[in-house]
Amino acid sequence: MKSKINRLLKNLLNTAVASFKFRGIQFIITLSFTFITILAMLFVGIVIYNKFSTSLENNATLSTKQLVNQVNSNIEYYLKSTKEVSNLLDKNIYLNQSIPNSKLQDQMNVIQNIRSDIASLAVFSDKGELIIGSPNSVLKDKVNILDQEWFNSALNKSDNVIFSLPHVQNLFDGKHDWVVSLSRVIYFYKDNVRLRGVLLVDMNYSTIGQLCQNISIGKRGYIYIVDSDNNIIYHPEQQLINIGLKSENRQDYLGSYLENSDEGKRLVTIKTVNYTNWKVVAVAYMSEILDFKNAITSFIGWILFVCIILIVFIFGFISSKISHPIKQLEESMKMVESGDFNIYIDVKGEDEVKRLATAFNLMISKVRYLMGQIVIEQEAKRKSELDALQAQINPHFLYNTLDSIVWMAENEKSDGVITMVTALAKLFRISISRGKNIITVREEIEHAKNYLIIQKLRYKNKFKFEIIAQKEVLEYKTLKLILQPLIENSIYHGIEYMVDEGFIKISVSITNGKLLYEICDNGLGIEPYKLKELLDYRVKSNTGSGVGVKNVHERIQLSYGTEFGLKIESEMEVGTTIKIWLPLVKE
Amino acid sequence: MFKKRSILIFLLFILLISPSLSGIVNLNSKKDEEPKEISLILKTQSGDYWKNVRMGAEVAAKEFNVKLDFTYCSDETDITGQIALVNAAIERKVDALILAPSDYKGLVDVTEKAIFKKIPVIVIDSKLNTNKTSSYIATDNVKAGEMAGEKLVSLSGINSRIAIINFVQGSSNNKDREEGLKPIISKYPQMKVVYNNYILPDSESAFEITKKLVLGDDKVNTIVALNYISSIGAAQAINEMGLAGKVNIITFDNTTEEIEFLEKGVIQATITQRPFGMGYLAVKYSVLNLQGKKIPKYVDTGLVVIDKANMYLPENQKILFPFTQ
Repeated sequence: MKSKINRLLKNLLNTAVASFKFRGIQFIITLSFTFITILAMLFVGIVIYNKFSTSLENNATLSTKQLVNQVNSNIEYYLKSTKEVSNLLDKNIYLNQSIPNSKLQDQMNVIQNIRSDIASLAVFSDKGELIIGSPNSVLKDKVNILDQEWFNSALNKSDNVIFSLPHVQNLFDGKHDWVVSLSRVIYFYKDNVRLRGVLLVDMNYSTIGQLCQNISIGKRGYIYIVDSDNNIIYHPEQQLINIGLKSENRQDYLGSYLENSDEGKRLVTIKTVNYTNWKVVAVAYMSEILDFKNAITSFIGWILFVCIILIVFIFGFISSKISHPIKQLEESMKMVESGDFNIYIDVKGEDEVKRLATAFNLMISKVRYLMGQIVIEQEAKRKSELDALQAQINPHFLYNTLDSIVWMAENEKSDGVITMVTALAKLFRISISRGKNIITVREEIEHAKNYLIIQKLRYKNKFKFEIIAQKEVLEYKTLKLILQPLIENSIYHGIEYMVDEGFIKISVSITNGKLLYEICDNGLGIEPYKLKELLDYRVKSNTGSGVGVKNVHERIQLSYGTEFGLKIESEMEVGTTIKIWLPLVKE
Repeated sequence: MFKKRSILIFLLFILLISPSLSGIVNLNSKKDEEPKEISLILKTQSGDYWKNVRMGAEVAAKEFNVKLDFTYCSDETDITGQIALVNAAIERKVDALILAPSDYKGLVDVTEKAIFKKIPVIVIDSKLNTNKTSSYIATDNVKAGEMAGEKLVSLSGINSRIAIINFVQGSSNNKDREEGLKPIISKYPQMKVVYNNYILPDSESAFEITKKLVLGDDKVNTIVALNYISSIGAAQAINEMGLAGKVNIITFDNTTEEIEFLEKGVIQATITQRPFGMGYLAVKYSVLNLQGKKIPKYVDTGLVVIDKANMYLPENQKILFPFTQ
């Protein structure tokens, strides 16, 4: 199983490598599509990333602001509620005829019991004497109230409620609680004398801590509180600050800004608390946002990477599907190029390519057929040319002619000799005619005439002949030696065995835009069955009769096409007409 | 053909997607790596001093995301018990060790064993007789002794009769404090040190010895108690005898009892250390050390002399009364 997979993978890799070497359609499709897709993805990725990171930063700023507001309002609410306690006490104390009394003590105890966050309540005279307090505790020896900061600030700002810095409340015996003190000037009656004093409400420091403690900004962000002089009121790492292992910068501004610290860029948001001059400061680490951004960047990066690889393979696959049959076609064409026509392409693929392959196959088969045809035709042509060559110097005819000349010379028929030799000379000049295949109609007729002259002498005027040629045809070109074999045929097979005198008529004319030779004789005629076979290539006549005729027909058709050639009409005992159709050629 | 190919493509797809998926998973899991475990072995747990050491260590543990494993002996003199605790930590294969050694020599072997087993050790509070530890974070006890001596001179004058109350222990702190104190006293030939014998490590024996010293022939008018246990005993004795203000006491540390005696005027001055910072720095430097960063070989956590006059200054409040939220 494993080796199978290995093999599959190996094959795939090989095809992939092989296909990428091919700088063709596949390569172009894969490359361009991949490129375009990557561009599109990068664009989308970057846009999304930008949008995301901007909104991330905005959200961080916003949520920090909201946190600060929330903490702020919590603290405000808490301080306000404590202030209301002091208002209540102030009113009650003022309404009392004389303090201390047990009723007021009870009230104070109740308040202190209900509000567990209030460490102590106490009223001092402006001389620093404890008038009444809850829990009903004793002042420590040698404690000088007049030295206390909360006492003095309350007296100095008599119309205001004063919130102190966190401090250890060292007034009462056995108590060392960290508190934030509220102090205010109050007026009270003691023994019916209106006196000025200070009301002290100590809030447990830990309560203020609790308001900020559970607030977290990211993993490392935090909230702290300072007063207007940047003394720290609450800090999550208060102990470290107390012993000097940590410190905070002065925060003199309100609002949000970025600052650089040892631990990186941080977003600081500051808001003032009502009723006090406290400031809530939130610190958020930008590096956390950055971490998140990096995580997203790498996530997008991974997705891009995976997609790019997938796309390369998918487009590689698609393009190979498109180009594979085309490549197959191309290979087949190469084979054809190198001369192998005996192929058949079996292409499976898209419709277009299939049609292309079918057309190609069709074309190849046609080419194959035509090639065969050409080979056959060339062979035939060569053969007929050879025959024509032979006809030029027919040794049999020459022998017979020379024999006749000798015979005439012996009988002292010098006229005949002269005529014959002259005709023979002319005959040969035309038939050789410097090796040319094409001669003028005039020459062809001349040749036929000379031949007829010779034959007429030889056959002792057994026939007559007539040659009629339109004047205008004479300068047209014609294949040479096409009349002579037909005349020979007429004499040997038609006229030789005739009892009566024979007659051969040759005419040349332009008919229907073609050159037409007509050879008429009044000979024996050709038997119909022979007539049929006479012009048929498929019948190989070995007897010699009609070979010349067939040869002429073949030569004409090979040279000018099948619309030209011979037409033979023959009637037994009446005669034969052979029509030779040729194209009008005038060079 | 086509089918085979599509299977291959699918296989390839899986092959490609799997490392990237695991990469993404890795990316996320990287941040939640197992926190380092640091073992904090103290001399004992009782007393504000050690509580503050522990609190400082816990704050740092939270900040640096380490698992703090806190152990202690029942008694400051339990050397064998502490050796057992160190061995247990070695067996648990903790990543780092913070040790407040009960004995200057007794803890050396086991500490070196831990270091040999590739557990870095930071010593806090008291010295240990080895230089193989990563760092030593403590109060400069010799300086503490000197400060006590100077305060003594300014409080009682040069014609005082001084008793130094200490107790027998292997830890170097008390010895160092004495070493700092003695040269100051010896500058003034009029001063007389009448008692500096070691007592038992509890407040009762300090209480008894103080009574004897003050009421006896020695007529001691200044007592220097070199640790918080003897400090409390001495102060209790003076308070009970109603001699507050007549016999000066200079103490060490800032336990609640000592602070109350300071407020009452029984104790005139106390030399306070910063145990919170000690615990915090010990864990912080352990973490930095594990991260391969350079850490100082010795850290002095600092000292403050507190007397009644300055005890409620804002900066001193913060040292005397650490938050116990």
